[in-house]
Amino acid sequence: MTVHDPGAGPPDEYVEAEIHRLLTEDPAVAEQGITVVRTERGLVLYGEVESANRRNEILRRVAGRFPDVPITSDIGVTRTQAPTEIEQLP
Amino acid sequence: MVIRIAAVGDVHLDEDVVGRFRPALEELPGRADVLLLAGDLTRHGTEAEARCVAQEFGGLGVPVIAVLGNHDHQCDQVPQVVGALTEAGITVLEGDGVVLDCADGRLGVAGVKGFGGGFAGRCASDFGEPEMKAFVRTTTESADRLSAALQSLDCDVLVALTHYSPVPDTLAGEPLEIYPFLGCYQLGQAIDSAPTALALHGHAHHGSERGVTPGGVRVRNVAHPVIKQAYSIFYLGDHLDQAEVSSVGTGGIQQSWS
Repeated sequence: MTVHDPGAGPPDEYVEAEIHRLLTEDPAVAEQGITVVRTERGLVLYGEVESANRRNEILRRVAGRFPDVPITSDIGVTRTQAPTEIEQLP
Repeated sequence: MVIRIAAVGDVHLDEDVVGRFRPALEELPGRADVLLLAGDLTRHGTEAEARCVAQEFGGLGVPVIAVLGNHDHQCDQVPQVVGALTEAGITVLEGDGVVLDCADGRLGVAGVKGFGGGFAGRCASDFGEPEMKAFVRTTTESADRLSAALQSLDCDVLVALTHYSPVPDTLAGEPLEIYPFLGCYQLGQAIDSAPTALALHGHAHHGSERGVTPGGVRVRNVAHPVIKQAYSIFYLGDHLDQAEVSSVGTGGIQQSWS
């Protein structure tokens, strides 16, 4: 878990909305599957992406755009192993 | 007869992902008759990203059939994206279908990207501003094309492939407020208009795997963040191991609308 905490005050709903749109509309991110959750300690980003580079870029972009907002990233990279089970459907 | 179908959606390929799926994909020839890709193959829908998809999912030794997703439309390069995929031997469906001769029978796949609009009782209507009417007509026309494609195929097993969801069941886990942007009931209606055996979709990264249409057709959300593996495998047919068969009753989390 990576924490960006410059010690600023709590974020408001508009910041939450703006981050959510930035995650989708910034061409360097273009992620619709990231959830932004407000907590007492700041904003937490949840979800999964396809590479570690993308996870790092999300935190870099959000921290750069909102340097005064405490951000915690809990974003995972989706696994790509072959399935070990099948589902049978009659 | 058993038809073996591998499927995944929302792989969002770009250069940084090339090679991640390939080791698992190399196992497909012995495990599945076909690989279905449920849209959002790229990040922004550029030709360069489509070539990454072609590199990762081309030349697998099994037929690969895809529909595009909303991400694949972002840069308005759909013809180039389709061209790059087609060059790699990947069949891209949009309101049409294909029949494959598999070892045990003929598999028909009809596909369309689909669109949003919402679900019965909580959906957008073809009424009011031009923008609203255009939105709902896009939904309706897409579903109509899927219905016609499904009904046109002569096969033993029929599968519907979309990006947007045909049912709310497989959206469980997503915020209720965004359901109208994740799917529409008209796609379910199209799927129920034909003897469809299975409907596969993606798009809902926080959704759940299993659902069923009002007409009883099983629905599976194969978005990569949902299945958390390179692809899922489904066996369809009449000679299955009964101890491992899923019943219709094992749908996704039932969403209360009240």
